This record gives sequence, C-alpha cells and structure tokens, in this order.
Amino acid sequence: MEVGARMRRILLTLADSIIPESPRTPDTLEEVTRHALVSLRYMPRSSARMFLWGMRLLNWAPLWRLRGLRPLTALPAAVARRHLVALTQSRWLPIRLLMYGPVGLFMSSYFDQDFAHREIKYAPVPFVADRIELRRRWIEGHEPGSDDEVHHPAALAP
Amino acid sequence: MTILAHRDYRQVETHEAEVAVIGTGAGGAVVGTELAEAGRDVLFVEEGGYHPTSSFNPYLTESLPRLFRDAGGTIIMGRPPIPYAEGRCVGGGTVVNGGMTWRPPEQVLMQWARLTGQPDLGPKAMEPVFDRVEQRIHAKPQHPSSIGEDSRLLERGARRLGWRYEPNRRAQDRCVGSNQCLTGCPTGAKQSTLVSYLPRALSRGARCLTEVRANRLWIENGRCVGVLGSGINPRTREEDVEVRVRAKAVVVACGAIQTPFLLLRHRLGRPSRQLGKNFLCHPNTKVLAIYPHDIYAWQGVSQGGQIREFRDEGILMAENAVPPGTAAAQIPFLGDEALELMKRYNAMAMTGVLVEDSHAGSVSRCLGAPLAKYSITPYDHERFLRGVRYLATLHFEMGAEKVILPFSNFHVANDVDDLAEIERTQRSRSTIELFTVHMMGTCRMGSDPRDSVVNMSGELWDLPGCYVADASLFPTAVGVNPQVTIMAMATLVAQRLRLPN
Repeated sequence: MEVGARMRRILLTLADSIIPESPRTPDTLEEVTRHALVSLRYMPRSSARMFLWGMRLLNWAPLWRLRGLRPLTALPAAVARRHLVALTQSRWLPIRLLMYGPVGLFMSSYFDQDFAHREIKYAPVPFVADRIELRRRWIEGHEPGSDDEVHHPAALAP
Repeated sequence: MTILAHRDYRQVETHEAEVAVIGTGAGGAVVGTELAEAGRDVLFVEEGGYHPTSSFNPYLTESLPRLFRDAGGTIIMGRPPIPYAEGRCVGGGTVVNGGMTWRPPEQVLMQWARLTGQPDLGPKAMEPVFDRVEQRIHAKPQHPSSIGEDSRLLERGARRLGWRYEPNRRAQDRCVGSNQCLTGCPTGAKQSTLVSYLPRALSRGARCLTEVRANRLWIENGRCVGVLGSGINPRTREEDVEVRVRAKAVVVACGAIQTPFLLLRHRLGRPSRQLGKNFLCHPNTKVLAIYPHDIYAWQGVSQGGQIREFRDEGILMAENAVPPGTAAAQIPFLGDEALELMKRYNAMAMTGVLVEDSHAGSVSRCLGAPLAKYSITPYDHERFLRGVRYLATLHFEMGAEKVILPFSNFHVANDVDDLAEIERTQRSRSTIELFTVHMMGTCRMGSDPRDSVVNMSGELWDLPGCYVADASLFPTAVGVNPQVTIMAMATLVAQRLRLPN
C-alpha cells in the first residue's frame, strides 16, 4: 500500500517503540514497516484506511491522554514507548483495541527475522528439513523407531 | 490439472460449467470433488492463490499474506473484540488449521435432527458420511514419535489431576510432527483438501480459477445461473480482470463470514430473515506457562490431544504451540520486556481454553466489507475464568514458574495462590483477550423456510440453483473442531444437489 512520508514516519516511530531495542540490524525498522504495508495491501481498502487512521490517532496519544502537546513522532523512542505501554494497559477497551493492529504487525514481523530467531534459540528451518527427510524415509517403508522421536537430541539442538 | 491464475486471464474471462463452487476449503473442495467424481463438470472459484506443499515455510511474514484472509488481520467486533483467522488460498482453512477430526458429539447431531425435523442428520444416519470423509482424509491418531513435550506435559498434568485427556485424531498421513500446521504443512502429511480432495477432483476434469474474488451471484429469472467476479493481480492486489462463470448451479462455500457477506449483497434469506444471524465462533483464550526447563513446544505436532474432562460444561483445553511471531503478538509486553519473555520461548507451553457458544452473533455488510458482531455472555465469561483457572492450576501442578494470563488487567500469576485473584479482578467481560478460528452458523439449514436460510439440500429457500456448503449450514455450534462436520455436510449437499434439465 502506498502511503505518504508523514504516515511512513508514524509507522516507523510506532515500530521503533513496539519492537525490542536490540538486537536489530540496520534494516529492521524498514523491514517491519514494509511488512506492515504489505499486509495492508491484502486487506479490504476500508479496513486498511481505518488502520491508518488509527495510527494517526495513536501518534497523537500524548495530546488526547493530556500528557503533552507533541506527537509520538516528535518524542524520544523511550518516551513514546511509555505512552504505548500505557495504552496497552488502558482500562478502556477501544484504546486497547487501537493497539492490537500495530502490536500484532510489528511484533510478528520482528520475531520472524532470523536474528531474532537466533536470539530466542528458535531454529525451525533445520528442524523442518530433518522432519521432511524423516517422512520421506517413512514413505519409503522405513519403520518408525526411537531415533525418530521428535525430541531426539539431534533435533533438539537449535 | 487445470489451475488457472491471474496471469492466465484475459481482460474479460468467461467460463462455463455445470457446477461452480466458490471456495476450496473443507466445504467447497468436498462438494466439488464429490460432484466431479459423479461425472459433473465442476469449476472451482478461489480468491486465494495456489501454493503447493513445496512452497510452505515457517516464516509468518511470507505465510500470513499468502495463506490468510487480510494477512491475518481480521476481527469480530463485540465485547470483547475477537481476532479471528481464516484461510484464503487453494485448500482454504484446511491448509492452515490443525487438522483435528473430531466428530460432533451425539447429542449435537440429535439436536440437529430434532431442530430440522430430519432424522437423516442424526448420529446413526450420519455415520456412513463421516466414515467416508475420514477415510478420504486419513483421520487417525498420531504416531507417538511425533508427539512433542508440551502435549506430553499436558497429558501428564491432566492424569495427575484425574482429568480425562484424549489424543486427537487428525487428518494426516505419516505426520512427523513438524509443527507447521499454521503456515501450511511442509511435509505434505496433513491431509488438507489441497492434497486430499482437490487432486481427486482435478484428475476427474474439474478446473480451478484462483485469484478470483466472487463479487456477486449471476441471477436470471429468479434463478442463480453463475458467478460474477474479478481477478486479483497478486502483485498490485488490484481487481483488474472481469471473470464470469455461467453454471447450472452455484455452491457458495466461503465460510461462515464470507458466505453471508456474498449472499446479503442480493438481499437473500428473506423468508426467515436468518441470513447472517446465528453466528457462532467457539471463542477461545490462551494461557502461556513458563517452565524452569526447555520443552521446545515448536517441535512435535500441534495439539497432540485435548483435556475433555469439562466437555459437558462446554469447556475444552489443549496445547497449541504457535511460532514466536504469533506468541509475541499475544504477550502483554512491548520492547525489551517482550524480548526478555520471548527468550524463554523454548520453555513456554502455549495452551488454550475453548468455550462452546451459549448465544449467537451476526454478520452483516458494512463499507464493502463483512462486519461480524459477537459478544460473550456472562455465562461464557464465567466458564472462561474457570477454564483459565483449571489450566493455570495444571501448569503450576507440573512445575511452571509463572503463568501468563489472558487478562488486560492481570497478566502474570506467579503461583497457584495468585489464581484466587482471577475472580476478584475479572468482573468485566472486556478485559479478557479472546481469539477464534471456528466460525459457524450464519445460513442455518432447516426444513422450514420460516426459521432457516437453506433447505435440507443446502439450497437457498429464495434462490433456486444456489447452494451453501460450509460451516454456515450448522444449526447450532458443534462444540468440537468443525472440519469433519463441514466435510460431512458438504458431502450431503453434493449427494442432494439437483441440476435443472
């Protein structure tokens, strides 16, 4: 989805405040923002527009929370994050609802990166390759044995 | 095999078939395959793309847009709002679900027989239909070597507490527990319709138009004679090709939200005004437990079994390991705090509580998109609190360090005593975080046009030639994973569908 420079800045700010500060690569912020924009393309246009309006509203959270006059894009990341954390814990459901979209998009995108996988010791690719090979052997008639257990030490080492 | 995609279409694409089937999931693929095998000329119309087994990988950023409606960003409005996920690809929801094959409990089928006045929906009469479906999708228990530590832990915990635990039967052929059900089975073991039903249909001459959105039905002289749609350019996502399919009968099988959305465009369902009503969704919530040792929940089949001790109260519990991207989106922390928790991902047991619906919501059209509305009742809420407490108790019994709870105002329980706080802090239905993947019941089947949307053949009372064959047919919630029931109902629709001379 095409968005203007201002909206792009808002998305980058929100992503910066939501995902962990490290580890990151130089492209991480761009990458998670790009994923958000790709996802929006797959939504009905009305839903995508509503999402973007929601992001504009979030950007002005300091103002409508009566905590400041500047938008999140003008604040340091740590301060912006404090605002967003408060919103996720708001007692008002519509405010928490506003956070569902960006948290879901940015977090799922961040924790889908290989460097984040390494950080949390998650290695699905070799594990899946190992299981594909195992199924091929089963199809060829190999009898399942104790070596095929899903938690065989070789499969456990991420 | 004839699978066409956007690149194959001309500016105006016209096709003819005896039967057009919209959707290729548990309903559409089954009805189309049964008809193709009976010698009918079948054309499938699928909004998503064709993604073969070899293309599946564990990366969510690739899988969500390709395989899920709206890249997974769909939500049911209500108190509380409920995010939901549904498949949008060839194979539909069966490509991205867990492949559980529970038959509906006998009392549910007896109730359906009573409500519709048709004994052939009863358990005895339906048995051969379920047998046929289960044989085709290889419904059977998992090989023990594919069961992961999280499922085993849940089973041991249930046995320790004296609760009934039952292993899941699944649609699988030599499943090796790669735990990638959610992003498409990369081994081809899960018998989604992509690898079970659809190849049969295509080998019998059926055709499939992919990347085509069915925008409206083609109606002539009060009869449905086809589908009018548009081809979606996969690169730009623009609908830039006009697609028309003329058929003697049209089967709508787009799921319990998209099916009424399409039919409501034509102001159908007038006799009973039940179209889009009776929306059911088996809401569920998650309970994440952190153990002192690694359990590698992402290795081994997702949902090895279910705790069915509280089935009579409409409460089911199971583990359901999800990739870190999905888990991180559900935890109540941001930034580095979230990372600290996610560093314990390997020690995390991801479990859930499913509550059977006690009332219904609705689906309508709003700004060109479907609007699903559903709120849980105080009774549902009370059962959720009970289910969360049961599961958290089990985790502490099994040695969990802490349990992440699904409440916006009460995130973490550090020991079993903390669970007493649940009742005190959870007075409002708005603070619980829910999710669903089982949408049902918006075009209920019946034998009386005054209280149902389709007749016992699945044909709309007020639009001859238009049939429904998906979970929207269900007169009530099934209380279990609905895939096999959808397939059985679709088989019935295929057997009863009559073409005009």
